[in-house]
Amino acid sequence: MAEETASSAWRRIIRTRAIGLAIAFAVWAAAIEARLVDLQVFQRADLQARADRQQNRTIAAAARRGEILDRHGRILAYSVDSDSIYAVPTEIDDPEKTTAALCGALDDCSPREREALVERLKRPKVFSFVRRQVSPAEARRVAGLGLAGVGFIKESRRFYPNRELAAHLLGYVGIDGNGLDGIEAAYDRQIGGRPGTILIQTDARRQAFSRIGRPPTPGTTLELTIDGGLQHIVERELRAGVVENRAAGGSAIVVDPHTGEILALANEPTFNPNAFSVAGEEARRNRAVQDLYEPGSTFKVVTASAAIEEKVWSPSDLVDVSGGMIRIGSRVVDDVHSYGVLSFTDVIVKSSNVGAIKIGLRLGADRLGRYVQRFGFGTRLSPDFPSENAGIVWKPTEWNDSALASVSMGYQVGVTPLQMATAVSTVANGGEIVQPRVVRAAIVNGRRVEVPHKVLRRAISLATAAELTTIMEQVVERGTAKAAQIPGYSVAGKTGTAAKLIDGHYSRSDYNASFVGFLPSRKPALTVLVVIDAPKAGAYFGGTVAAPIFRRIAEAAVQYLGIPPAISPAPPVLVLRRAAADLGPSSPVATVVPAVAAGSRAAVVPEFRGCGARDAIGALARLGITARVSGSGVVVAQDPAPGSLLDPGASVRLWLGRPVASGEHPGSQP
Amino acid sequence: MQGTLEATQYAFRKDVRNNSIVREVDQARQRELWESVAIGLLLVALLLFSAWQHFELLRYGYRIEQMQQQRATEDEISRHLRLEVETLRSPDRIERLATERLDMVAPGLDEAIVIERVVPPEAPPSSLVAKR
Repeated sequence: MAEETASSAWRRIIRTRAIGLAIAFAVWAAAIEARLVDLQVFQRADLQARADRQQNRTIAAAARRGEILDRHGRILAYSVDSDSIYAVPTEIDDPEKTTAALCGALDDCSPREREALVERLKRPKVFSFVRRQVSPAEARRVAGLGLAGVGFIKESRRFYPNRELAAHLLGYVGIDGNGLDGIEAAYDRQIGGRPGTILIQTDARRQAFSRIGRPPTPGTTLELTIDGGLQHIVERELRAGVVENRAAGGSAIVVDPHTGEILALANEPTFNPNAFSVAGEEARRNRAVQDLYEPGSTFKVVTASAAIEEKVWSPSDLVDVSGGMIRIGSRVVDDVHSYGVLSFTDVIVKSSNVGAIKIGLRLGADRLGRYVQRFGFGTRLSPDFPSENAGIVWKPTEWNDSALASVSMGYQVGVTPLQMATAVSTVANGGEIVQPRVVRAAIVNGRRVEVPHKVLRRAISLATAAELTTIMEQVVERGTAKAAQIPGYSVAGKTGTAAKLIDGHYSRSDYNASFVGFLPSRKPALTVLVVIDAPKAGAYFGGTVAAPIFRRIAEAAVQYLGIPPAISPAPPVLVLRRAAADLGPSSPVATVVPAVAAGSRAAVVPEFRGCGARDAIGALARLGITARVSGSGVVVAQDPAPGSLLDPGASVRLWLGRPVASGEHPGSQP
Repeated sequence: MQGTLEATQYAFRKDVRNNSIVREVDQARQRELWESVAIGLLLVALLLFSAWQHFELLRYGYRIEQMQQQRATEDEISRHLRLEVETLRSPDRIERLATERLDMVAPGLDEAIVIERVVPPEAPPSSLVAKR
């Protein structure tokens, strides 16, 4: 019984304790369950939102701006990331001290900027830019300060690695990445690309572990028609010409007359698009497409074209220029020189204003007006220049005789240099107006798509263009543009000298001196136009100011582009594709001495062994002998042997190879 | 004599010998037990596998993010270098170096003979371009 009681008591105690534990456990479990229900059901929305805010960030991913290339793929405009410095004003205890430290590290921190920065840092804001798109050196110095509340973010910045090269064509980009001028503005939507949206998930340490969303679409890369090397040549010579003539400015354009591709377009003064804000509006203006000028005698090309096309005049017709003077109402127009009777051709060659007026008067306002419009004057020609000026052309119905006379000699009509270059290109290519353009191709997602060239219309017939070409050749050969002659090349062109209209009156001291021409005239590769604004170094005529600049540009251009001479070209060089086997030792370097002066009937073949290929070919070309070359290196053998007699037009075979020790001779041929 | 007349109490202790009794193994229950263990293990394995996948995904996510950052950094360095190359190749800079430091002059038309113009073939109107 006692045992039984002890056992029962024990059991009761155990049971009681077990029940107590179970109750405690149940309460604990219930509490946890209740808390879980509270967190996961009642507070779910709020906690979810907090988690989203902490873990998920949606950022707008900026699109990379497309590149701008020249026709050879060289970069003209390029974007890279640069550091922008920001501050969190609420975390900065001492704005003055922080500002002083920042200004000490940044370049060009003016007192005004310092004051403005102090003001911004005093405001209770969480973000404020200190300076955007700083140089790497500035960023390093600021980072080295280790300032509290100052940080860096990456922003894309536009760079123009060639500085002033093609500045007016390219334009520039603002600090927010928007194109503000030139091609950057005209094609801003395509080049700018499309931003993307990225959802980033981060952990408690703000480290990202997941990134999904729509990536940004990079901007289109534009390939321009510009040749970087040629552009540099044109800018250099234009700058030199403007400085030499102490002019207010100038423009020069080089165009392919067959395709309308603008190979170079330069203006002076110019600017650096990397620092466009410090350049004045005068320097940033694209004179070649925005500025109007009265073309003067270069416009006689249009008058002459209309006269020949309408068969009102022929090149051999005689024009009485009345001793170089003509009266139209109360107005008297005279020529620089007094001529009596000139042929139609000589009216253009000698640039007689009186002659041009007489041609225009016979042509009539209606017909001349029609050809003025046909040549593209009074309209915008290129879709690549939104700021292009259409020019000023009066309606022919409003022309009286005086106006007709003025237009005939290139006054009372406002044109842009681009329009004038296009008009003369029309003559060069046989009579078609080809739309001038500066965008050659667009590259999108690795696919290059060319912009086809566009013929707007036919202005004059092939025959008329040929006649005009002949006349314009004579302008250069014996007329007002002798300074434009280039040895070995046939050049066709026209000079222009027009008084500037200032405050309603024609100036007696300020002129626009211009020259426009194309070469080689019988197979034109380039049209070049030069306009010099108000030369003040004494001379002001197109023939003395603009034509020499044209010549310097054209000479360098034909060399750079490898355009062979049209007059007495050197014989072609034939080069074997396969390199010959090593031909062994050769004699020491020898000097090439032409045995007979060029022009003689027979030439003695010099010793070329040991000479470089360039020297040998040059010497043979001067003798009028064709060189056939194989291999690489210096000349190790030749056929025929040195001392042989050869007629001009014959050929010499040259083998090239590696030079070896002197004293061994390979003989005249392998 | 009375004391000795007290009842003698006996406690019979049964000598229960169960050694010879062997509990029969309940095969069905055994099987159920092992099946339960196996199912439990399978569930645990699945849970562990799922957890492992999840954490591997996170780990690779970090790694991918790190590599993307590295790639973006290298890409940007490449772009900066390309910009530097183009700046150094600027025609104006090359000409100034050639004329001012190397005393070179541009050849005139009589010094350089243009023999033949090599014209590269025209690209088709639409073509694929290798990415830089």
